[in-house]
Amino acid sequence: MEIIIDGKKCEAQYGEYLLDIARKNGIHIPTLCHSDALPGQATCRLCIVEVVEGSRRRVVTSCVFPVTREVEVFTNSEKIRRMRKNIIRLLSARAPKNEFIQKLREEYGLLQETRFAVDEKENCILCGLCVRACEEMGIFAISTVNRGIEKKVSTPFDEASDVCIGCGACAFVCPTRAINIMDENGVRHLWNKEFQLVKCQKCGEYFTTREHQEYMKQKFGEDNNYTLCEKCRKKAAGEKMAECYRI
Amino acid sequence: MSKHGNRTILVCCGPGCLSNHSMDVYEELKARISQAKIKAEVKTEVKATGCHGLCEKGPLVRIEPDDIFYTGVKVSDVPEIVEKTLLNHQVVEKLLYHEPSVGRKVISPKQTRFYKKQMKLALRNVGEIDPSSIEDYIHRGGYKALGRVLSELSPDEVITEIEKSGLRGRGGAGFPTGWKWRQCARMQYYPKYVICNGDEGDPGAFMDRCIMEGDPHSVIEGMVIGAYAVGSHEGFIYIRDEYFLAIRNMSHAIEQARDKGFLGKNILGSNFDFDVQIVRGGGAFVCGESTALMASIEGKVGEPRAKYIRSVERGLWGKPTVLNNVETWANVPVIMDRGAEWFSSIGTENSKGTKVFSLVGKVQNTGLIEVPMGMTLREIIFDIGGGIAGGRKFKAVQTGGPSGGCIPESLIDLPVDFDSLNNAGSMMGSGGMIVMDDRTCMVDVARFYLTFLSEESCGKCVPCREGIRRMLEILNEICEGRGQPDDLDTLAELGEMLKEASLCGLGKSAPNPVLTTLRYFKDEYLAHVNEKTCPAGVCKNLTVYYIDESQCKGCGLCQKNCPSHAVEGQRGQPFAIDETKCIKCGSCMDVCRFGAVRIRGRDKSWK
Ligand SMILES: Cc1cc2nc3c(=O)[nH]c(=O)nc-3n(C[C@H](O)[C@H](O)[C@H](O)COP(=O)(O)O)c2cc1C
Ligand code: SF4
Ligand code: FES
Repeated sequence: MEIIIDGKKCEAQYGEYLLDIARKNGIHIPTLCHSDALPGQATCRLCIVEVVEGSRRRVVTSCVFPVTREVEVFTNSEKIRRMRKNIIRLLSARAPKNEFIQKLREEYGLLQETRFAVDEKENCILCGLCVRACEEMGIFAISTVNRGIEKKVSTPFDEASDVCIGCGACAFVCPTRAINIMDENGVRHLWNKEFQLVKCQKCGEYFTTREHQEYMKQKFGEDNNYTLCEKCRKKAAGEKMAECYRI
Repeated sequence: MSKHGNRTILVCCGPGCLSNHSMDVYEELKARISQAKIKAEVKTEVKATGCHGLCEKGPLVRIEPDDIFYTGVKVSDVPEIVEKTLLNHQVVEKLLYHEPSVGRKVISPKQTRFYKKQMKLALRNVGEIDPSSIEDYIHRGGYKALGRVLSELSPDEVITEIEKSGLRGRGGAGFPTGWKWRQCARMQYYPKYVICNGDEGDPGAFMDRCIMEGDPHSVIEGMVIGAYAVGSHEGFIYIRDEYFLAIRNMSHAIEQARDKGFLGKNILGSNFDFDVQIVRGGGAFVCGESTALMASIEGKVGEPRAKYIRSVERGLWGKPTVLNNVETWANVPVIMDRGAEWFSSIGTENSKGTKVFSLVGKVQNTGLIEVPMGMTLREIIFDIGGGIAGGRKFKAVQTGGPSGGCIPESLIDLPVDFDSLNNAGSMMGSGGMIVMDDRTCMVDVARFYLTFLSEESCGKCVPCREGIRRMLEILNEICEGRGQPDDLDTLAELGEMLKEASLCGLGKSAPNPVLTTLRYFKDEYLAHVNEKTCPAGVCKNLTVYYIDESQCKGCGLCQKNCPSHAVEGQRGQPFAIDETKCIKCGSCMDVCRFGAVRIRGRDKSWK
């Protein structure tokens, strides 16, 4: 099937998401809450585009909009730009000092927000990716709490979580680097908790927390080389493979 | 009407009357009647029923077949009712309803404009039967439609009938019910589910509650018919937790229906199986949204999801699902019983049948009403509602729940149906209708609803969470006198964006209260922003009360009624208000019979 995005003909599979099709064709649509590994958040709404079908013109969220018919898409119409500007304005009122949001603001020619009361220390836009990442790890240490304008991400009762393993998946997926993670003198500070970092048995660099290492061993078995850092593990796997095939 | 000359006393035990102790009246009536032994003469049955509608005048008691209707009945009135009415066929004058349109008391409900102009389909049994009695329901024709459907019609014929009736969903968007069922029936994977949405999160609304409490079988019968039509064998009734009476009556009705073979295996010998269970909802407003509701039934956090794939395809647990509102379900048996043609003869071109509203606010007769679609706002507010309370002036009516819109006096002759309300910038929603008088500040109204929505937004998507927060921030500033010239444009732009870019219906409709008041009451916003004045005298920071000396007759009523002792002066001479003591409650203005109490803006004078 073929759809038209901003005048360009694009090949599309039935059910394929609009954002993916646009990206494959080199068409840029801004996103914050989208992660290829954890798709489907659809909370930041930056990726809105206009879809035209006959006389019907509507605004959809491209990261979760499945293409099922031959439609025409406008990713940057005047209306979309105006609405996107307003979304960015809201984001920058929420997290005024955040570098990623400042970049978006500049891209859309917006000035620093002055009308609204702002909290300069805020960086989180509540996209929910960190919570998803933690859930995918099977840990469930953090969640969103409260509703509406009081919503935030935290550990239960804001205390040090007893299940958190300090893996840092949350910080890794965060699009605005809002999560405070700090590795210092062999100790990781995350979510009001301290974790002992462990060194890679090969290269000797700190690479993860003891809790994370134990968790992975328990989950996937001892023999998966969880004593090595990512880099050395890959290298070891490569060597093993080479040995097998005697390359 | 009761059979064999028996007498039935219907005591309203709807939410309004219950809170005025109608249950005690019911118990007292039962006790007194058995004492008086009038049973020997005429068999008298006392029934605790669902809401009669005229909640303002409760507790309400109706006596049939005498066709007598009493209002404001207290336990202490019971002996007189028994003595006079039941034993001696006399009416108790003081308990009769005063009908304003004729200026005298009337005996029969049919003589009141409140009841006369209504048409009860969804509420056909509410207030007429004992909701705990399946026999009462059957006696009034209940489960007849189901019998016919199962023995004579194919699922496809049922759907065609519902399509032809033009029934549209009563829970929000007015989605064509037949079409929804048709989509679901087409799906070839199983199981399929049907759900009844009884979340009713709008504050002040009690339509669905009254149906579930007062006529639970109508919902069950509708659901069995719907399930048969789409090929589902399992249903859920989602009821908010606070509705304990609805939950109790519904649970009881489900058991009775099972006993009688209207639910369960091989219903009425048709080989069709279907059963329902109740799910108690946590009570957040957003849980009424279809995808959030399904998440909640699945045991997940009740938050909406993007629904480019409709629930009829992938709903509850990813299976084809039909979700309808309580009132929608309650309409189904009537349609199947009396036919699509009859149903579609009621209402307007694109909105068929009737709609239930909870009429509240500054009207004389608040309560639960049901009217044919297309009745004008004027008829609803002035004929049924009896006009504005306290003889004040009508200003606006808010329809559609917290995210509905405000409709001004210039549109009072608007026929109420799905499309005309949408065109006016408001919506039908589930049927809230709040009447406002001239002492209402429309900026403050917008602020009130946005405050509610800011607390009820699930907070998942940026436009809704951050947009409502910032719109509310601006409204707060405007009401406090710190509005800026650009604010109205900012509100309009944010509103436009929320409508299109929010994830679910809550965010998409949340700007309505702001956008409609901006559209119809722009002058009032401008007065707040530019003149720093609240024309209605509501926003305290922008209002100064004063007494016009030339009008003041020195009667002293204002002084007597001021809770803050801010009125100074002697009787017989013009009074004056001490601004430093005034708490701006407006009591003086309300009681002054000469219009001498005035308000003006903070800086400039205002007439
Ligand atoms: C925020 C929000 C709250 C809602 N609350 C209710 C509700 O309390 N009851 C209801 O029946 N529908 C509610 N709806 C509408 C439902 O999503 C859904 O459209 C409806 O239940 C479908 O039934 P119908 O077609 O019979 O109207 C709500 C929608 C939104 C966006
Ligand atoms: S529109 Fe509001 S209620 Fe709906 S998903 Fe977004 S934040 Fe939640
Ligand atoms: S990237 Fe689509 S909503 Fe955030």
